[in-house]
Amino acid sequence: MKVLMFTWEFPPLISGGLGTACYGIVKGLLKQGVEVDLVLPTREEVYFPMRKETDVDDLPIKFISPQKEIEFTNTVFMNSMEKFEFIGVSSIPESYISLSEVRTFHTYFKNFMKKFENKTRVPFQEILNNIMGCENIFEKVKEFTLRAQRYAQILEYDIIHAHDWLTYPAGVIAKTVSGKKLVCHIHATEFDRAGGAGDVRIHNLEYSGMTEADSVIAVSRYTAEMVISRYLIDTGKVNVVHNAHNIDIKEFENEKRMFKDPVILFLGRITLQKGPDYFLEAAKIILKKYPKVRFVMAGAGDMEKKIIHKSAKYRLKNRFLFTGFLNAAHVAKMFSNSDIYVLSSVSEPFGIAPLEAMSYGIATIISKQSGVAEVIKNAIKIDFWDVNLLSEKIIELIENPDYRKKLGEEGRSEVELIKWEKACSEIIKVYEKTMGRINK
Amino acid sequence: MINLVFYFQVHQPYRIRNFSVLDIGKGKDYFDDELNGEIMRKVAKKCYLPTNKLLLDLIDKYEGKFRIAYSITGTAIEQFKKYAPEVLYSFRDLAKTNCVEFLGETYYHSLAFLYDKNEFLEQTRMHKETIQKEFGFSPITFRNTELIYQDSLSDYIWEEEGYKVILTEGVDRILQWRSPLYAYKNWNKNLYMLLKFYSLSDDIAFRFSNKGWVEYPLTVDKFVKWILDLNLIEKGNKNLFLNLFMDYETFGEHQWEDTGIFEFMKHLPAKAFKSKQIEFSWPSDVLEKTNYQPESISFPEPVSWADMERDLSAWRENDMQHNALETFYDILQKVKATGNPELLEMARKLSTSDHFYYMSTKYFQDGDVHKYFSPYGSPETGYNNFMNAVTDLEERI
Repeated sequence: MKVLMFTWEFPPLISGGLGTACYGIVKGLLKQGVEVDLVLPTREEVYFPMRKETDVDDLPIKFISPQKEIEFTNTVFMNSMEKFEFIGVSSIPESYISLSEVRTFHTYFKNFMKKFENKTRVPFQEILNNIMGCENIFEKVKEFTLRAQRYAQILEYDIIHAHDWLTYPAGVIAKTVSGKKLVCHIHATEFDRAGGAGDVRIHNLEYSGMTEADSVIAVSRYTAEMVISRYLIDTGKVNVVHNAHNIDIKEFENEKRMFKDPVILFLGRITLQKGPDYFLEAAKIILKKYPKVRFVMAGAGDMEKKIIHKSAKYRLKNRFLFTGFLNAAHVAKMFSNSDIYVLSSVSEPFGIAPLEAMSYGIATIISKQSGVAEVIKNAIKIDFWDVNLLSEKIIELIENPDYRKKLGEEGRSEVELIKWEKACSEIIKVYEKTMGRINK
Repeated sequence: MINLVFYFQVHQPYRIRNFSVLDIGKGKDYFDDELNGEIMRKVAKKCYLPTNKLLLDLIDKYEGKFRIAYSITGTAIEQFKKYAPEVLYSFRDLAKTNCVEFLGETYYHSLAFLYDKNEFLEQTRMHKETIQKEFGFSPITFRNTELIYQDSLSDYIWEEEGYKVILTEGVDRILQWRSPLYAYKNWNKNLYMLLKFYSLSDDIAFRFSNKGWVEYPLTVDKFVKWILDLNLIEKGNKNLFLNLFMDYETFGEHQWEDTGIFEFMKHLPAKAFKSKQIEFSWPSDVLEKTNYQPESISFPEPVSWADMERDLSAWRENDMQHNALETFYDILQKVKATGNPELLEMARKLSTSDHFYYMSTKYFQDGDVHKYFSPYGSPETGYNNFMNAVTDLEERI
């Protein structure tokens, strides 16, 4: 079986949560003999033909244009980063068309979409109406969508797999061109990112992409329910495949600890979705009783300054600290210096960070409003808004080091069993069911 | 007669490097050695060395009639030794002329007076010893960090040996109908006070090169005329004191050489002496030259020379500043309790007021000044670096 896969991120080129998940999925699929042609938002028209497991790290590159392919194979690159620069992938999503081209581009795009309009019942008008923003991200989505036609025509594959709204329009185009089935994977909805209703264009793109898809994969029941209730997606085609993780389970380092007193960690973007203010409010309550514990807020985000000022206003002294953005090595270091991890998210489609925390043997508290809460047992689960209960649970863990240790160790063993192989078997089942190879 | 009292503030903080939570417990140094060295060498070249030379020449030329005063912080002296020893030698050359007065202040240019009176006195004594050792001068005049002053400060200074004069800002809301040109006494009438004449001081320090200023360019002729005009307020023969207090870095650093600031200073004495109504004096000359009974003046609330408000808001306004200061002085107590001199030295370097100034979020005109002086991208970065360093210190106890 071969999959044409559209995604916006893939490590190490672009590595957010979506990239990490796609890495695990592609690797797991390859392991089970499924080949993948991966399409990313690159400047050059290239794709990544993934044939064997090691390809997820080597990232083989192929150009659509034969002339370009010859030029590329004749170019000598000093390292892989140079190669990636050649095809134009950056860690920051950007648009590759110049401003002077924008107007003609708009007309061109409109005509492009119209070509498809009468062919099927596809809600192209919906996509056309909602993809018309002029922000960089929308420009880039449009370019990506335009190119989908070429990829769909030239490559050979059995099924199309598109990840999140950014690639849904491309998936729909590819489906129309090729007549192959489309699977839309939903890693996060605009409701999660915005903490309520968000950008109406994105909502509409999520809606029309999933409506047009033959199957939808949601990363949790939590997300599946949201998709069904808010986007009215046919329950019969929505499948839940929980994420797994690529974490190596580490042994505790013997390095000197950063802090003598217990450390309670928040790790994630400091943004509304992650509920940093609930973590802060709990800290305020707990520090009254235990003024010596340390709270660390790790990450960056649009609410960072607000939380810094508020923590200072509460006069939490140097018991509430901020790390700023952390790279992978620093994340590892931070985890190995923490005792309790808190995921306070208001809405978390899945949530990989708690699994990582648990792999370090850290006692973990997670918001019930998360997908990860469905798959793990050895973590304390609370409603994100219940600051009093969160404080009580943290205090319980502070007061009982044995309980803390037990919960941490059991969590670690549990996380060890969550593997991408299992998730990918389920994804393959969804493919087969969608293609009508098995009946269910 | 009107006395020109020039006092120059010489200070360099130990700027904190980017100190992350991840650096805590690793035994890392808090201070950005590279940046501090770079700034010291740059300021030495642009300001300290050429200005010292210029003023030394003037002192030689006028044979004792050209008098100036310096307040040099302990952290500046340490960094001269470390990064630009020739600056210290040139200050010693100035000291040898006996035409320079050195003032007393806190060694670390700290806000200790506001939080910890014992620490304030310890730092003041440390500074005095350093000035005695480096320049053979025992301070008579005291100026607190950033001219921060309130009545109770004079009570502490009066108890200290040797001090007879205090300097502070000529704040309008305190002076009201009074002129900063007269000598004053503190509320308890046991110390003399001189008040900064901020408009003329700032004409040199801030407005000198401002082309949008109606008086631009500031010439020596114009400046001396203004001084003589000021002298007209005195109808009797009381001696007046025009107190021109400013950062030394005004010369060549804040106002670059090409603005003509050095030429201005070079030609000012000749023009002033020519008028026969102007003399150059030290702050401590107020003791001899005050030919009247000075009025006592009370400062019930703290004042300073910073920003438009001339209060403590540059260092102590937003929550970050309050939280950082309260945390620091708590931990300083714990550090002192250990009796470990190395830890105490590190802690005291963190007491320098500049660290809290960088956390200011004031906007408009003054925010720009804060930004100009700050080595960090934002007040929050300054805050995080400081809090992380203080936390590392606490973990070392």
